[in-house]
Amino acid sequence: MIVDSAPAFDVRDYLRLEMMPHFLCPGCGHGIALRALLWAIHELGIDKDKLAVVSGIGCAGRLSAYIDANTFHVTHGRPLAYATGLALARPDLHVVVITGDGDCLAIGGNHLIHACRRNLKLTCLMLNNEVYGMTGGQVSPTTSESRLTTTTPLGNSEPNFDACALAAAAGASFVGREVTHHVPKLKELIRAGLEHPGFAFVEVLSDCTEIFGRKNELGSSAEMVLRQKSELRPSAYRDTVDTPFRSNDLPTGILTKTERPEYGMAYRKAAAAQRANTAARASAGVNERKA
Amino acid sequence: MNAADKALSPKAAVHLISGNHACALGAIAAGCRFFAGYPITPSSEVAERLSRMLPEVGGVFVQMEDEIASIAAVIGASMGGVKALTATSGPGFSLKQENIGYAAGAEIPCVIVNVMRGGPSTGMPTRPAQGDIMQARWGSHGDYPIIALAPASVREIYDETIRAFDLAETYRTPVVLLYDQVIAQLTETVDLGDTEGLMRAERKWASGPREAYQPYASGDDGIPAMSRPGAGYRVHTTGLNHAENGFPTQNPEAVARNLGRLLAKFDRHHDTIDSWQTLSCDDAEVLIVAIGISARAAARALDIARARGVRAGLFRPITLWPFPEKALREAAAKARAVLVPEMNAGQLSLEVERILGGKRVDAIHRYNGDPITPAEIAQRAEALAKEKK
Amino acid sequence: MRDARLEIRIGGTGGQGLILCARMLADALCARGKRVAQSQTYEPTSRGGFCNSDLVISDVEVDFPLTTALDYLVLLDRLAVKPSWPLLKPGAMVIADTRLCPKLPEGDYRARHLPLSRTGIELGSERVANIVALGALAALAGICEREALEQAVRAETPKSFLDLNLDALAAGYRLGEQATSIARVTQ
Repeated sequence: MIVDSAPAFDVRDYLRLEMMPHFLCPGCGHGIALRALLWAIHELGIDKDKLAVVSGIGCAGRLSAYIDANTFHVTHGRPLAYATGLALARPDLHVVVITGDGDCLAIGGNHLIHACRRNLKLTCLMLNNEVYGMTGGQVSPTTSESRLTTTTPLGNSEPNFDACALAAAAGASFVGREVTHHVPKLKELIRAGLEHPGFAFVEVLSDCTEIFGRKNELGSSAEMVLRQKSELRPSAYRDTVDTPFRSNDLPTGILTKTERPEYGMAYRKAAAAQRANTAARASAGVNERKA
Repeated sequence: MNAADKALSPKAAVHLISGNHACALGAIAAGCRFFAGYPITPSSEVAERLSRMLPEVGGVFVQMEDEIASIAAVIGASMGGVKALTATSGPGFSLKQENIGYAAGAEIPCVIVNVMRGGPSTGMPTRPAQGDIMQARWGSHGDYPIIALAPASVREIYDETIRAFDLAETYRTPVVLLYDQVIAQLTETVDLGDTEGLMRAERKWASGPREAYQPYASGDDGIPAMSRPGAGYRVHTTGLNHAENGFPTQNPEAVARNLGRLLAKFDRHHDTIDSWQTLSCDDAEVLIVAIGISARAAARALDIARARGVRAGLFRPITLWPFPEKALREAAAKARAVLVPEMNAGQLSLEVERILGGKRVDAIHRYNGDPITPAEIAQRAEALAKEKK
Repeated sequence: MRDARLEIRIGGTGGQGLILCARMLADALCARGKRVAQSQTYEPTSRGGFCNSDLVISDVEVDFPLTTALDYLVLLDRLAVKPSWPLLKPGAMVIADTRLCPKLPEGDYRARHLPLSRTGIELGSERVANIVALGALAALAGICEREALEQAVRAETPKSFLDLNLDALAAGYRLGEQATSIARVTQ
């Protein structure tokens, strides 16, 4: 029998309670994702003083303000770029990025692919609710085909991004996806991402009930969460429920995990070698040719 | 001084270096330990130099995926407490503007080098211009204060790079270092033997108990103390309008109070922020106002004009924004006419007209990539002097 | 006070090493206590287009660092003639390559046509024409001690090309000295 000696997880220990009530709509999946993140942080024993959370613009971007840590709510699409500077300058910090599907894949898409390629130690949590919720419900790069939004009144006819496939193709060394219906699984995935010694991309399939759900008549928030299980993302329940899988099924869990040099570490190692080389030449009295 | 510093320190006092090289040296001397940039003519030499120099002093250089990512990474590094720099030219400067506004609003120190080339758009990448004077001041949306410095020689780029960091750290603000392509790629004899006296400012860091700390409290001087991540304060930083506690607010009183403090931030500090040079202004009947390569031409034009009996003087703002208004008014007090030679279609002249309201302000506006010559300035100054007699 | 200045342009095309050779001269002058400003103009193409490297030399701080009245113009390609001609000071010296810049316009100047690039070819590489030109310019203008210039060439040259560059500099000096004596006879 495993005896868990860690103190029980109480989400309030990690929240800025003075910021409550929060601004998320009733039924929004983002709160579930936030709880799972804080739970994983608790399990790993990450010091709140050494935790930096960088977030962009949109509903997901607002979450950082509720976390009792060093939090940075930056410009639209740029949290990965801000986090890159912060993590390179302060390798002692644990840097987490919270972003949304529009923030990360549309306006910030360039930063995502290069963060995947660079492999700096960052955990990027992308909350995908298929819509620009904050601005009133416009189509996003992950909106499913034929869905109604305020800017696709005829139904969305653009194909949507598979964010995890994109991240993996761009070279991310850790890629995973999970649903908000399954909180312990989500927590485990985020935990694995936080522990990964490199860039970790975690997509959370979240639900926007108030705007996207209402517009598309997807039912109550509870019904939307249940649809994750029964209709939309059934492979998340591959091992728990006997459900016929649809062709547009999105795989969940850890999808990619490879070992390759972490950028910050590799840079610091090369820099230390250069310094040693310079010092050796200086002590040997080598006259350097002018640069 | 550690071994790495020694390796970079001047072996002799006199050097032959380019403006962009001087900027890199100045940054290292100022304590800059982070650079993020994106290749662009004619500023790339700053990045190339720092890619070698920063690892020598334990700093970090990173070439980002675009101009926006570069300024974002720089602000991110500075949020972590590290002095940070980026360098670009017109097109990149335009792309960085939203995030420069973020740095101004959230009060994150950083230094942005903008080497001015021909514009608009891609313009003339290898030819000089001075067309970003107004963009340096007004480039981002909304109301915000900013400092811009305009060095005119290689040595001055070194000094002003150091001062840019000092002002950025002291006043928690982005500082733009604005110089033209000529000065950037000019190689000049510079004496770096007397740089010991240059100021090295450090950020005002938060101290005391967490409960009593307000990240945007005015303090004695209008400049809030910043908290370093890891020091236990765990504050929130946002581009949304915020109250003294750092959290977003739309309360009109709180917004007016905090934004009001921000907008007035430099008002009590003109003594340390303002900087300018005057040449032969005491008896000047024609006052020339210029920056960068145009000011270098004007300096030579003074003697040509005076040899022809025209009493010309030069006022050269080194701190361009906030503009040293009082000093300009004093320098122009006796002048009957003012001449502004500049490599754009009329930017500095607008500001000079505004400050000197009513005085005759003439200008040479050049935007074809050819620097304005001393002879042209002298000739116009002479014409102005005659016009008045 | 306006600086009492000497202005030099080395003009040609991109890839001829004009900036490097101006840099060597600037280094040498700087080492002897002169104040120098070196600038260049170039086209977006790094090879083949018009390129020039200018020096303004003074005993005091240079005020305007760009050339306005050339005392010496070195031409390593005919492309550089047109953009440089309006800058010639009356009585200036023009040192032109016999092969690459055979014809010069009329004007108030002293012409020295020298086989700069041919000498380079004879030494083993046309690429050292710039160093030949540097030697010839130094000999004709008498602006710089030869020892200082040799030191600058050493400092800026990779080891494998050092002998070639020093030979080119010496050959340039010879061309310049011969031209000086001819000039004395004919003037």
